[in-house]
Amino acid sequence: MSIPGLHLTQIGRGDFLLDPSRSLNTRNGDQLVETIAARLLQARAARLYYDLSDQSLIDPVYYAWLDMLARAMQAINVRMICIQMQPTAAFALSRFLQEKPRFETALDIDGWR
Amino acid sequence: MVTRKISSEKLKELFGLKISGIAPELEASGIKYFCGDQRLMDPEEVADISLEFESLVVSLLGSKDPTDIQSPEFHALEFFFGSLSQQVLMRGGHVEDVVRYTQSLQLGLIDALSKASGIPFSESRTVLLYFTGIFNELIMAVFRAYLEERESTMQAQQAEIRETATPITEIWDGVLTLPIIGTLDSSRTMLVMEALLNRIAKDHAKAVVMDLTGVKSIDSQVSHHLIQMVRAVQLMGSDAIITGIHPEIARALVSLNIDFNNITTRASMSDGLKEAFSRMGITVSH
Repeated sequence: MSIPGLHLTQIGRGDFLLDPSRSLNTRNGDQLVETIAARLLQARAARLYYDLSDQSLIDPVYYAWLDMLARAMQAINVRMICIQMQPTAAFALSRFLQEKPRFETALDIDGWR
Repeated sequence: MVTRKISSEKLKELFGLKISGIAPELEASGIKYFCGDQRLMDPEEVADISLEFESLVVSLLGSKDPTDIQSPEFHALEFFFGSLSQQVLMRGGHVEDVVRYTQSLQLGLIDALSKASGIPFSESRTVLLYFTGIFNELIMAVFRAYLEERESTMQAQQAEIRETATPITEIWDGVLTLPIIGTLDSSRTMLVMEALLNRIAKDHAKAVVMDLTGVKSIDSQVSHHLIQMVRAVQLMGSDAIITGIHPEIARALVSLNIDFNNITTRASMSDGLKEAFSRMGITVSH
């Protein structure tokens, strides 16, 4: 399923992979979250893997988007796991993060499993 | 390029000279400063550099404006002295050796030119001033080369220290160890963190054991750096385990109100490794 700026793919029973592209506009966060949640609920998803491999920097704006999505996932009982966070992104995020993020993290899908 | 008015007759004569064959007379300075106890060069090398110097001086004196220190001919001379300085330093010589050689070469050159032409240049104030100006610039080139050499040596040493100060080892498939020894300040923490995060990505490490046995004291800033490092490791999806916290460090962390809620700690490196292995489903038996 293609959402503007995002690719949502089912990769197994209850598992979905969310792959953001460069055209992702986080200002449309509410609408994006609603579309993703609707698709995941429809498919009875249990886990959402968010691929961060192309995100070299996570700034407060991007983190706010991740946090919003993670809260929505909590609300519909889907575990959100961010995978392949780049060293530069982890470094930047660790500098302003004050508490444990609402999403889980893993090196990759296999690493989490 | 501005061609300056040549005010002295002697200087005019100097610039109009057709010089050749003065290199052997210039060798004495090289022999004195480079072929002594230190044996920085052998006499053949001194003969070669004297010949090269003669050729460069001839080019400069015969150039359009021999007083122009921006001319290609002068830059070639500067380059010659810079390279010579580097060569001597690399062989264990001192910058003083090259400076004294350059000063001695100035006197030797004036003598050789006087002998070759029959004109007593050493009695001309303008000629002496001209050569003093030229050789002062050349000595500057020697010092510049010395400083560059020293700077690159220091950078290489610092890189080596950084490397040895952050010995990240993959002790098992997917398990990294990082013993931290000495003081953790902001700049070092950044270096350690950068190296560690890149290594996690490269080795696909699932667990990192950070051993603080070698850390004797900790302050507010350092503890926050440490927490930041642990957080970054966790964000990448690895497990961070801190080991070897001394009682004084534990007390300091409590008084600094550091939250260890989401951080796994173990008493020793061996316990930390056991924890890392058990999380990965690896059993180590005696």
